[in-house]
Amino acid sequence: MASQNRLTATLIDAMTLAPLPQPAAAPLLEVNDLSVSYGKQEVVRGVGFELGRGKSLALIGESGSGKSTIARAILRLLPAGATARGDVGFDGQNLLALPERRFRLLRGRAIGFVPQDPGNALNPVRTIGVQAMEAAALTDEPNAAIRKALILETFAQVGLDNPQRVYDSYPHQLSGGMLQRVLIGLAVLPRPALLVADEPTSALDVTIQKRILDLLSRLQHDLDISLLLITHDLAIAAERTDSLVVLKNGVVQEAGRTSSVFSSPASAYARKLHADVPALNPDRYARLRQTGLRLRDADEAPKIEVSAVTKKFAVDGKILTAVDDVSFSVPAGTTHALVGESGSGKTTTIRLLLGLEEPDSGTISVAGEQVSGRSATSLRAVWRHLQLVYQNPFTSLDPTWSVEHLVREPLDRFKIGTPEERTKHVREALANVGLADHLLTRKPGALSGGQRQRVAIARSLVLKPDVIVLDEPTSALDVSVQADIVEVLLSLQAKLGLTYIFVSHDLALVRQLAHTVSVMQRGRIVEHGNVTDIFGNPQHAYTASLLESIPSGITEPARKPQPVSRQHLRQEQLA
Amino acid sequence: MSNAYLTYAGKRLGQAVVVILLAYVFTFVVVSILPGDPITSVLRNPQNGFSEQEIAEIIAAQGLDKPIIVQLWNALSGFLTGDLGMSMRSTRPVSTLIAEVLPSTLILASAGLTVALILAFAVAYGTRFVPRRYGQGLLRGFPSLFLSVPNFVIGLVLIHLFGFQLGLFRVINPNSFWATLFAAIALGIPVSAQIAEVLIANLDKEAEQEYAAVARSRGIGQARLFAKHLLKPASLPVVTAVALTIGELLGGSLITETVFGRTGVGSLVQRSVSTQDLPVLQAVVSLGAVVFVLVNLIADLLYPLLDPRVKILGGAKRQPTTADEPSIGATKAVTP
Repeated sequence: MASQNRLTATLIDAMTLAPLPQPAAAPLLEVNDLSVSYGKQEVVRGVGFELGRGKSLALIGESGSGKSTIARAILRLLPAGATARGDVGFDGQNLLALPERRFRLLRGRAIGFVPQDPGNALNPVRTIGVQAMEAAALTDEPNAAIRKALILETFAQVGLDNPQRVYDSYPHQLSGGMLQRVLIGLAVLPRPALLVADEPTSALDVTIQKRILDLLSRLQHDLDISLLLITHDLAIAAERTDSLVVLKNGVVQEAGRTSSVFSSPASAYARKLHADVPALNPDRYARLRQTGLRLRDADEAPKIEVSAVTKKFAVDGKILTAVDDVSFSVPAGTTHALVGESGSGKTTTIRLLLGLEEPDSGTISVAGEQVSGRSATSLRAVWRHLQLVYQNPFTSLDPTWSVEHLVREPLDRFKIGTPEERTKHVREALANVGLADHLLTRKPGALSGGQRQRVAIARSLVLKPDVIVLDEPTSALDVSVQADIVEVLLSLQAKLGLTYIFVSHDLALVRQLAHTVSVMQRGRIVEHGNVTDIFGNPQHAYTASLLESIPSGITEPARKPQPVSRQHLRQEQLA
Repeated sequence: MSNAYLTYAGKRLGQAVVVILLAYVFTFVVVSILPGDPITSVLRNPQNGFSEQEIAEIIAAQGLDKPIIVQLWNALSGFLTGDLGMSMRSTRPVSTLIAEVLPSTLILASAGLTVALILAFAVAYGTRFVPRRYGQGLLRGFPSLFLSVPNFVIGLVLIHLFGFQLGLFRVINPNSFWATLFAAIALGIPVSAQIAEVLIANLDKEAEQEYAAVARSRGIGQARLFAKHLLKPASLPVVTAVALTIGELLGGSLITETVFGRTGVGSLVQRSVSTQDLPVLQAVVSLGAVVFVLVNLIADLLYPLLDPRVKILGGAKRQPTTADEPSIGATKAVTP
């Protein structure tokens, strides 16, 4: 009973102590002329911005723009060998000039950090409870039982259903979304004045992304925290923040109120970022998409026919139906998208399509040839028509091979043409994806992410296949690079009449480039049809929720601060 | 302790027994096809002065007149019941001979392992906390330096320095505390180099992980980060590394015993090789196999208990995640 009272007292203390908004006071965070170099290479140059108390600011840009480096400089978590110069004013003191001993007192207590990849942000061999205790220790609450109660209370506050179970778990036992909730909870538990969130949702599914961002926005308003959000998605920044700093190559391109930068970007780079967000430009590729369609022969049989396919797996002694009675057909020269969250059965479906798994029932045919029930050797004949582009070009290419070797390998394997003809094919394929000949001798390590994915596409093109399976081909890439790849894919389709199976959880992207779509949930297709129909008028609740999760850059009124909540929480505790 | 773990442990134990039996059979075959007939060279050696009748008795007693497969069967069933046969040289049971010298070697080997572990962890700790200008680089060079120095060289240097120059121990009393300690140091240094190499590399790797940065953002200091976060995950591979150094430790013990003049398994082996006392050699080699297999068995059984991420098939514990938030691993789980 006594401890219950103390818990209540502590919670009230923690809430009363939280900084209250001070009108027209000095900004909480004031960055001036910040430069960061790795060795001799300067990656951030003369960056400056201000973040007011209780306000939110987004740093936006593609990889290499220096946005994460700025966040780490503020947190003083730069890797060894990196040096930051300039002035990071926080609550009146320059963080860069503080001795480590004094800065440590601010860590966690005044400045919280939510990292990018929740799967890697907690110690894998220690329980979540042990790590949560480290955050709880920052509240200076002497009683361990109350500290633990605070943790469980926070876990419940961030929407974790069973706080005690989460407390006892190891990180690998929780999903990515749950881990990110844990990390956000641990960051806000000591009631910091500033929260730095470094792409907090880029490793998560789109529906979970929305929930996590909602949570961040809610906590920011309820607890009066200033939020510094790092993101590459302009639509997310527009929805969630008050002001915006656009970065490119470590230099500020544009800064200002989010609404004005979003609605009328002044710099060329901000305009490009705006144009590259699929959600904001659903019809950007309408013309290219139509060209592809016009080429096809309406009477031709479907290129791909999947009918009533079911696949079950035994997991932990239980039967899991990964793909449940799935059917779809794809006309030649069109793009069919498979969408759904992780675990919806998309990946298993394409593995079945590629003949990498045998269906338990149902049939699959590609270009008139049966895929299911074939031996490994006769599958080779199918693979000649059916190629796969993997999700992550950073891991799918052998780092020790040259571009020429990588693209040429399928030709050598299928023994197509003379060596001279193979060289010609390789150059053709590279030209098709817009890569210059001088890259032939490069290794993947010397290429950018976009160039690597082009190499992967060229590699699938050399065999002149009819069908290319694209497994989330842009999910590892930046928005602007993604736009380049989408353009390459669509012009190839228009030129060569390719049929695409496009697997994605990004519905905005699907809307841009696919013709037909199947929405998958727990192994079943819940809705399918023409992209414009489904997106314009979703029939299934799941499709509607997926569509709603797409960041559109529009702030909903419901997301505005709810002034009652703090009082409400307090009453809840007293009751 | 789950059922899956017990099943796993039972299976690993079974495998270990099979490996030990195969090692025994292998040594037996190798020894019997070796060139040179030990019976001729030992028994018919005129210096030994056995009469033809005595030779016949010994051959009958050892069962050497039986077919090789019967000899193997007898030896193997003896091995399984703890009867290692008779020494051809001293006509005493092999098990007695080994029991006499084993404690001394075990003391040396475990002292050597202790020294190796302490040294390895101290060096690894130093690489994280000694500033660069005070010789962190030197500490990082420690593993490659000591891997390249054979332990008998280290032993000789230690004897010269601490035995003769400083008089810390008397060379003629090799079983005294100090003599044992320095022998253990000579044995432990090269072994510690291997362990330190694994530990330093893993500490560096763990320190670069995102969770270390996140922990620091929570105000965790360097010392606590090392002790509470980096040390455990970095030490897990050390369990395997230690198990693999057991061979080094056993082989090294034999050499170190010779250098320091200790009576142990080393001196027994030396004697048996020079006199071609095959039953003793067979027993010692098999014993080495048993120790090696047992230590690796222990390491394998410990690992799932130490590392929560290691899942034993069938006993996988995954928390049911909320239906609307499918786990990141779900796709992997259905497409093995």
